[in-house]
Amino acid sequence: MADLLEMRNIHKVYPNGTKANQGVSFSVRQGEIHALVGENGAGKSTLMKILFGLESPTEGDIFYRGDKVVLKSPKDAIKYEIGMVHQHFMLVPSFTVAQNIVLGSEPTKGVLSDHQKAIAETQRLIQEFGLKVDPNAKVENISVGLKQRVEILKVLYRGARLIILDEPTAVLTPQETDELFQSLKKLVSQGYTIIFITHKLNEVMEISDRITVLRAGKTISTLITSETSKEEISRLMVGRDVLLRVEKQPAKPKETVLSLDEVSYVSETGKQVLNDISFQVRAGEIFGIAGVEGNGQTELIEVITGFRKNFKGRITFLSQDLAGKSIEEIRNIGIGHIPEDRQTRGACLTSSIKENLILDLYRDKSFRRGLFLNQKKINEHADKLIQEFDIRTQSRDTLAGALSGGNIQKIVVAREISKNPKLLIAAQPTRGVDIGSIEFIHKEIVKKRDEGAAVLLVSAELSEVMSLSDRIGVLYNGELAVILENSESLTEEEIGFYMLGVKKQEKRASAT
Amino acid sequence: MNQRSAVYLDLLGILLAIVAALVIGIFVIFLVSDEPVAALQALLIEPFTTLFSFGSILNRMIPLVFTGLAIVVVFQSGVFSMGAEGQLYIGALTGALVAVYLPEMSPWIHIPLVVLASLIGGALYGFLPGVLKAYFKADEIVSTLMFNFIATLFVSYLLNYVFKAPDSGGFARLPFVQESAKLGPIFDGFPTHAGFLLALLAALAVYLLLYKTKTGYELRTVGKNPLFAEYGGIKPKKVLILSIAISGALAGLGGTVEVIGLHGTLKDNFSAGLGFDGIIVSLLARNHPIAVLLSAFFYAYLQVGGQIMQANSDVPRDLAIIIQALLVIFVSSQAIFAYLKQRKLMSSRGGERVAK
Ligand SMILES: Nc1ncnc2c1ncn2[C@@H]1O[C@H](COP(=O)(O)OP(=O)(O)O)[C@@H](O)[C@H]1O
Ligand SMILES: [Mg+2]
Repeated sequence: MADLLEMRNIHKVYPNGTKANQGVSFSVRQGEIHALVGENGAGKSTLMKILFGLESPTEGDIFYRGDKVVLKSPKDAIKYEIGMVHQHFMLVPSFTVAQNIVLGSEPTKGVLSDHQKAIAETQRLIQEFGLKVDPNAKVENISVGLKQRVEILKVLYRGARLIILDEPTAVLTPQETDELFQSLKKLVSQGYTIIFITHKLNEVMEISDRITVLRAGKTISTLITSETSKEEISRLMVGRDVLLRVEKQPAKPKETVLSLDEVSYVSETGKQVLNDISFQVRAGEIFGIAGVEGNGQTELIEVITGFRKNFKGRITFLSQDLAGKSIEEIRNIGIGHIPEDRQTRGACLTSSIKENLILDLYRDKSFRRGLFLNQKKINEHADKLIQEFDIRTQSRDTLAGALSGGNIQKIVVAREISKNPKLLIAAQPTRGVDIGSIEFIHKEIVKKRDEGAAVLLVSAELSEVMSLSDRIGVLYNGELAVILENSESLTEEEIGFYMLGVKKQEKRASAT
Repeated sequence: MNQRSAVYLDLLGILLAIVAALVIGIFVIFLVSDEPVAALQALLIEPFTTLFSFGSILNRMIPLVFTGLAIVVVFQSGVFSMGAEGQLYIGALTGALVAVYLPEMSPWIHIPLVVLASLIGGALYGFLPGVLKAYFKADEIVSTLMFNFIATLFVSYLLNYVFKAPDSGGFARLPFVQESAKLGPIFDGFPTHAGFLLALLAALAVYLLLYKTKTGYELRTVGKNPLFAEYGGIKPKKVLILSIAISGALAGLGGTVEVIGLHGTLKDNFSAGLGFDGIIVSLLARNHPIAVLLSAFFYAYLQVGGQIMQANSDVPRDLAIIIQALLVIFVSSQAIFAYLKQRKLMSSRGGERVAK
C-alpha cells in the first residue's frame, strides 16, 4: 500500500535550544491506525504539531501522496485533509455542541450564521460516525468523554481524512476509551486514517495496525502490531528492559493507621465535594482511590493533610484527631505526602535540589548548628538521597526545574519517603513521569508498605491503582461508590462501572 | 543549569547593562558638551582622585546599602513592599529622639540604644502594612506607598510644630544629637563616618539571615513558591509580616545612621528618595545582600561623579541621573526577561505534566 503521508528526516530545535526532533522519519498508510509511542518528551507532540502546521521543522520534508508539501499553518494542513485533536481541549464552554463544531467555519444564510443548518450538519456527522452527543447541549455541561467526541466531530466537520489524536485516552475512563476505540474503528472502515499518540501499551496493542516508537527525538523503529509485544515496545521506548508489572507479595495489614468516618466537605463555592466518606487504611497495606479526576480526589487529600479545614466527620491518625491540626503539625506526626502537582506544590523549581530536600528537616534541631543551618549535614543528606533515589543530576546544587519530570518527582518521593512516615499519601505519584521512573517509584511505594507503612494512593491512572493497591475505593461525585478487595479477578471494566456512577455499592454496614 | 552558572550569566548581563548605559551616557555627553573630555573626566575619574570625594562616595553609599538591603529582604520573600522610604523616616525619628533627648552617656551604651530604637521604629512601621496584607488582603504596593506619605508628612509635621529646635534658624529640624550618640569618622581625617562599618555588618547579617538560617529558608521559600512553602508547613502570613518588619528595621536603621553619622540631627525631607533608590540598588544587585554593597557603591559613585561634573564642566548632573535611569531600564528589563524565560520553562514543563 502506498504511503498517504511521509515525514522524512525531521529536525526541530525550539528557540530555547531544545532539540525535540532529531531526524525523525515517519510514514502513514491510508486507512490504518498508526500508534505513535514514546516516553514523555520523546518529541511526539512536536512531530504532530509539525504535521499539523503549528510548528515549522528546522529541517526535513513532508510528502503527501508522494508530493512534497510545505505546511505553514493548520489552514494548509486542512487543505491536505489533515486534522488534529489536541491534548488539551480547545472548546468554548458556554457554546453548544453544534456551535463549537461549526465554530470558525459556520454555515451562513446571508451574513448571518445559520444555526439550524449547523445543527443539521452536526446531526448528520453524528449519525454517520456513531459519535453520539446532543448537539444542543452546552459544552460546559458534558463529560470529558463527550467533549472529546465534539473535538473529533469538529475535525471531521472541517473535512479531515487523516486525524491525529494526541493522547486522547489520558482523560478517559475505560468505558469511554472503549467507545472511542469503536468510533475510531468505524472511521478507519470508512477509509479514514488515524494517528494515535499514547504511552499506554495495552491500548497500542488493542487498537493499532502499526507502531512507530520515538525515543529522545529519534525514530527507533516502526513495527507491525501483530508481530510485536508490549515487552518489545517498552524496551524500545526506554532503551532497556523494564518491569511492566509491579512485583509485590500479598499485603499483611496490621493496625488501622488512618481512619475517616463520615467525612463531608463543602467547597468555598458551596458545592458538596465530599459526601459521607468512610474508610480505613491499615499499616502494611496500600489503599488505592480510583476515579475520574475531579470527583473529589483533590479535596479528599487536602482535607486529610490539613490544607482544607471545616470538614464534617472525623479523621483520625493513630488515634489522634486531625481536625484543627495545622499542615506543619500533620507533617510532623508521621504523615508523608506526595502532592498531586509537583510543579506547584511538591517541588520548588527555582530552588536547588538540596533545598527541596530539606523542606521539613530545616526545622529539625539536628540540622542546625547554633543559630545557623548545618550546611554540612544538609549536603550529606542531599547526596545520600540523590544516590538512594537515583536522582539524575550533576550536583545537589542544580536547580530542581532543570531536571526532567521524572527526576523532579524522585526528589519529592525521596523527601517524603525518607522521613519514614507511618502514613504515606501518594497523589498521582507517577503522572507525567517516564517509564523508568514509574517503575522505580512504584517499587519504593511497595517497599514502604512492606516496611509497615500505611499507603493511601490516589491516581487517575486506573492501571496504576490496580497494580499497586491491596484494596480499592472508587470515588464518584464526592462519594465513595465502593470498596473492593483487589484480586486477579477484578477487572478494569468492573471498576469503570463505579467510576461512571453506573454501579454503586449499597451503604456498608461497616467499612473495612 | 546549576545555580553557579546561572549566577555568572546574570552577572554578565548586569555588566552589559552597565556598559550599555555608560556608553549611551558618554555618547550624550559628546553631543551636548563643548568640553566632553573634561566632563567625562569629572564624571568617571575624579571621584577617585581625592580622599574627600572618595569618602563622599562611601558616605552616600551607606544609606543606599541599608535601603537596598531592606528591599532585598522583601523581594526575596516575594513581597513587593515599596515602603522603605517611610520606614526610613520613622526609624530616623525614633532613633533621633533617643539620640537627642537621652542625656549624655557612654557612646557604647547610647549608640546601641539609638540603633535599637530605630530598628523598632522601622520594624513596627513595616509590620503594619504586613498585617494589612496578611489579614485584610490590602495590596502591599499600594499600602506601603500610602504609608510613605503618612510617614514623611508626619515627621515633617513633628519637626515643624512639635520638636523644632529653638536654635534652628527657621529650618525644620530636631536639636543636634548628643555627642555620645554621634558616629565619628572611621579614622581621623577621612570623611567617611562609622556608619559605613554598620552598613557592612548589616549586609553580612542579611546574607547570613537569608542563606544560613531557618528563618531565611522560610523567607526565600515563600518568595520562590508560596504553595510549596505552605505544603511544607511554612506559614506564609507569618513570613510575610516578618519579612516586611525586618525590611522596615533595616530601612529605619539606615535613616538613623544618616542622622547620627552624616547630619547630626533629624532634618525635614533629609532623605529625598533614598528608599526608592534602594529598589534600584537591590535590582542591580539581583536581590543579593552582598552584591548590594557593590551596586550601592556604584550608584553612589555615579551621584558623586555627577556632582563633580556639574561643578567642573558645562554638563549638568542630570546626565548622571539619565545614566542611572538607563541602568534601571536595562537591568529591570533583563529581570523581566529572565522572569518570562523562567515562566516559559515552567509552562512548557507544565504541558509535559499533563502530557503523561
Ligand atoms: N514550545 C516549546 N518550546 C521549547 N521546548 C519545547 C516546546 N514544546 C516542547 N518542548 C520540549 O521538546 C521536547 C519534546 O516535547 P514533546 O514533543 O511535547 O514530547 P512528547 O509529546 O513526546 O511528550 C521536550 O523536552 C519538551 O520539553
Ligand atoms: Mg505530548
